[in-house]
Amino acid sequence: MGDDAELVGRCLRGEQQAWNDLVERYARYVHAIATQGYRLRPPDAEDAFQDVFLRVYDRLGSLRDPEALRPWIAQTTRRVCLDRLAAAGREEPSEVEARGLDETIDELDEAFAVREALASLPEECREVLDRFFCRDESYRTIGEALGLPSGTIASRISRCLGKLRERFEGRNEPARESGRSRT
Amino acid sequence: MSSSRSGAGSAAAEAAAEAARLVATVARETTGWEGAAGVAAQAAALADRLDELAEADAEAFTAALAALESRSRDLPIRMQHAADVPLEIARTAADAAEAARVAAERCDGVLRADAVGAAALASGAAQAAAHLVRANLLVAPDDPRVAQAARAAEDAQYAAARALDAGS
Repeated sequence: MGDDAELVGRCLRGEQQAWNDLVERYARYVHAIATQGYRLRPPDAEDAFQDVFLRVYDRLGSLRDPEALRPWIAQTTRRVCLDRLAAAGREEPSEVEARGLDETIDELDEAFAVREALASLPEECREVLDRFFCRDESYRTIGEALGLPSGTIASRISRCLGKLRERFEGRNEPARESGRSRT
Repeated sequence: MSSSRSGAGSAAAEAAAEAARLVATVARETTGWEGAAGVAAQAAALADRLDELAEADAEAFTAALAALESRSRDLPIRMQHAADVPLEIARTAADAAEAARVAAERCDGVLRADAVGAAALASGAAQAAAHLVRANLLVAPDDPRVAQAARAAEDAQYAAARALDAGS
């Protein structure tokens, strides 16, 4: 994922905006792992969120492969969440729960990759996919909003889904985790 | 087990959901059509929405019946509220008919009859849902939802007619 490598490079060069971009890109991901994966309570999740990004800030230079930013942040988040559970006197997830946790994080990874691929599409595709799949708008409503014949909307959505698939498959190559022993 | 009582709205939504599932199957099984996966994904999303609408309509219908039996003063409000769900059913069924039209025009010949049948089924569901909107809004015939539902039914009918043309 070239964008992450570029983002890491900008952060390491000390660009403040790059750090803002990194937090913006991964904020929902980190929060989702803490709340959906580890089911941290809101105040604990908020603390974990702060801890994760502090660690990322401190240790980004130890990341050997900048392409592996996402799995590295995921691993950092998992460790911070386990620390939070221990600090709160709650037990770590059992083996069975850990398997469910892995599945949840796999789903979050997939959702994240789809969101990134969607963000890379042209505006007209993003809009039509968002209106149909997220806002549940009808073909007629979409056509009226975009000034297009409603009879062309289904085909337009299909074309945009084709582009999304290309971007998603291009972006979803397995990334190696890097620097995990240093977190 | 749900204590909701299903009526024509739920039946229309279920019929349209089946039609959308047929479209998804036709698209998935068609070879050499570049947009097939996209139409299959849309049809599957429409089927999911229609399944939810079937449940929502049963709940709204049950609430309206309860208001009717108890001669509640809320009845006109309940009936007007109950029009929202069939309106969504009409719109979504119209989209299922449109997806079926696209499939009928592009699918393998051996599957075309299924796509045409799906379009007819979805169109019928849209007509039924539009009628329910009118019936629920008898006390408010100028409500814009009546015209919106009628437009959805017309869209569905047009799509089904084109699908039938493709199949003849």
